[in-house]
Amino acid sequence: MGAYGQKTLTEEQLDSIENQWNKVLDEVVVTGTRTPKLVTNSPILTRVISSSDIRKSDATNISDLLQTELPGIEFSYSMNQQVSLNMQGFGGNSVLFLVDGERLAGETLDNVDYDRLNLNNAGKIEIVKGAASSLYGSNAVGGVVNIISREVSEPWTLNINGRYGKHNSQRYGAVFSVNKWKINSSTSAQFTSIDSYNMKNEGDYSTYYGNKTWNINERLTIKPINALKIIARAGYFFRERNSQVSTHDRYRDFSGGLRGVYEFSPGTNLELSYSFDQYDKSDYILLTRKDVRDYSNVQNIGKVVFNHTFGGNYILTVGGDVMRDYLMSYQFTANGSHHQITADGFAQIDMTFNKLNVIAGGRYDYFSESDMKHFSSRVNMMYNLDRFKIRGSYAGGFRAPTLKEMYMNFDMASIFMIYGNPDLKPEVSNNFQLSGEYTNGLLNANLGAFCNLVENRMTTVWNQALGGMEYSNIGRVNIVGIDANVAWRTQWGLGTRLSYVFTHEHVKKGEPYTSSTRPHTATLRVDYSHQWKNYGLMVALSGRALSNVTVDEFTSLTSYEETERVKYPGYTMWKLNVTNSIWRGIDLIVTVDNLFNYVPKYNYSSTPSTTGISFNVGLSMNIDSMCKRK
Amino acid sequence: MGLLSACNGILDGIYDEPDNENNTGFENEGEIFIDATSYTQWVYIDFSERSTVTLGYDEDAPQNWDIAVHRYDVKTNGAKVVETNYSDFDQAITATIDEADLVSDIWTTNQIVIDMSTMMDGYLGYTESSYNPELSKWLNVDTSTMPPIYTPSGKVYIVYLPDGTRAGVKLLNFMNDMQVKGYMTIQYMYPFNH
Repeated sequence: MGAYGQKTLTEEQLDSIENQWNKVLDEVVVTGTRTPKLVTNSPILTRVISSSDIRKSDATNISDLLQTELPGIEFSYSMNQQVSLNMQGFGGNSVLFLVDGERLAGETLDNVDYDRLNLNNAGKIEIVKGAASSLYGSNAVGGVVNIISREVSEPWTLNINGRYGKHNSQRYGAVFSVNKWKINSSTSAQFTSIDSYNMKNEGDYSTYYGNKTWNINERLTIKPINALKIIARAGYFFRERNSQVSTHDRYRDFSGGLRGVYEFSPGTNLELSYSFDQYDKSDYILLTRKDVRDYSNVQNIGKVVFNHTFGGNYILTVGGDVMRDYLMSYQFTANGSHHQITADGFAQIDMTFNKLNVIAGGRYDYFSESDMKHFSSRVNMMYNLDRFKIRGSYAGGFRAPTLKEMYMNFDMASIFMIYGNPDLKPEVSNNFQLSGEYTNGLLNANLGAFCNLVENRMTTVWNQALGGMEYSNIGRVNIVGIDANVAWRTQWGLGTRLSYVFTHEHVKKGEPYTSSTRPHTATLRVDYSHQWKNYGLMVALSGRALSNVTVDEFTSLTSYEETERVKYPGYTMWKLNVTNSIWRGIDLIVTVDNLFNYVPKYNYSSTPSTTGISFNVGLSMNIDSMCKRK
Repeated sequence: MGLLSACNGILDGIYDEPDNENNTGFENEGEIFIDATSYTQWVYIDFSERSTVTLGYDEDAPQNWDIAVHRYDVKTNGAKVVETNYSDFDQAITATIDEADLVSDIWTTNQIVIDMSTMMDGYLGYTESSYNPELSKWLNVDTSTMPPIYTPSGKVYIVYLPDGTRAGVKLLNFMNDMQVKGYMTIQYMYPFNH
């Protein structure tokens, strides 16, 4: 949407629809291989949410966007309205979120702070489903989501945007970029807020907690010589949540980084980078006006990656990372702290033999605190038959026990203790995928099957001897499913995309089915865009459908003998977005969320926190377009 | 050293330091700060002696005391209590009180929780005790959701003691700087007269 700093369509950008479509298929992706590859030629199936898709979704944050665009993804609440992800059977700690390839510090109940991933200056989002630990190490068990910042080539751009909606929800953003001499600077700022509101019906919670966020980022790119690119970045994030009358939860992040890329020859380069990320949590007590920090995760990461293209069809990638991970937490004894060093080395070879493309790679990870070593590997193959492409892959994934899982010593409101376990083994997954893709003119379709064999999942289990919950490895979990996607676009501006995912968690006969993963989910988008001489129109209808799920839940915390069956209802949620490009660079955006006025009869933590249909109005102004002479 | 501190984070100075962990008792003029976090103890308060003593729920009460606090529950030593409509002592002191509104302690068997550990199995451990429902209104705890919703009344309560004197009481805070619930900061005025 214009409200994200996207450019309004100008005449020179209005290429033919076919060219635009080809651009989608020719999108360059980096997440699957760490080297630029055309999405259509990548053996690693990568879904791209383009800037155009982001524009059509009018989403403020990543959770809203991903749920709108992808089936198999559900953001719900865990305790205390903390946001919790389920991506095709994997939780938030098993899906790795990256911003421009850098991981994020901090978590709450196993999930990173998704509000940090604002879309104000996002160029695109790449999603690789399945394991990817051979490139990214721990946490890349169920998938990788990489938010890639927008790069601007114009001499300067300035976008200012705002949006207002139900419950006094407000969003204001600005992105300023300038290209001068050999320097490119991009500065973005966004503020969002929403009031607390009461749910219409009873449920697991009765009030949605209002909140406000600030996101400020600067990225400076300098090219002192053609072969060398240096990128410096800094960011600040602040979120305050009105969780209680007497206290507000505060979340802050300070990030920075320096990256240098030296190009020896086309396709051969060396990258060195340093990254800093500090995520803090504090409680602001309104009664005493004190802001006391009780959590801080600080990650310092050094990285080196070397890519070498040789023989025309071979790309070698080798690299390594060293990270110092520091964690101070209220969940440790006496609000103490722990730290550890992690180190890894990886190598990958990308080979093309006529119509066959093969990628093979491996990575060795070491974690000092647990003295744990782990090797991950992958093999991806794609057979290219012009319109048909067949992809098959094996990928290993793992998740190392975190400092929290090793050392927690937390009194849960005098009800029970939660203990860490230094002897945890890593969670390991073996991921197999097979898919076929067909492209013909303006039609693109793919159908795939996946199988994830997960061992040693880490979770809290009642320990009778300790008289409390303890982090433990539990047995094997097998997740299988089907992923289908059809996208079609006409010459005259109409486009549609339908996606469907079936997910099934296999349990042995007679054992309780405790997974809350919904078996069937689908998303649909139908959009139309047209540019007249002085007016542009874009209309997008997006919907998602989630089936119900029946879960066997244990009736007691301390005994795993009895279960009760709970059915969580399915639902559909629709959004209509109308963007009117009314004058040079000015967009007026009207969005209707929850178009068919869905109001949950009971507010489970997995039902959307909605009180019904909501209308939102936004305005986006590209000042640079307004200043340009016609 | 500088490098190491950067490894452990930056900008510590933007936060406040927790500093009221151990200063329990009649530390500040007109305020009492007590550690009532334990489910198995009462903190007994004597206004005239400006003293507090903490004893187990199954121990005898001390010789002299006026009110006692267990977590957020309150009992009195034979007093009667009324909630005023004021949050300010200067206004509450002038309030006209109808004696019919004064509330004495009641005997309870399902109010004073001494064992939370059985909660996930569907029940709690209680002890029998006297309990003043009026003064206990100083903090509403809605446990229908997790975590509970805490709403202080912000009102001034007048405690009519058996010796004919009055005490003015208001709950200022129910947690310490680290947000541990049950650390109670009580504003008081004794005697509560013009």
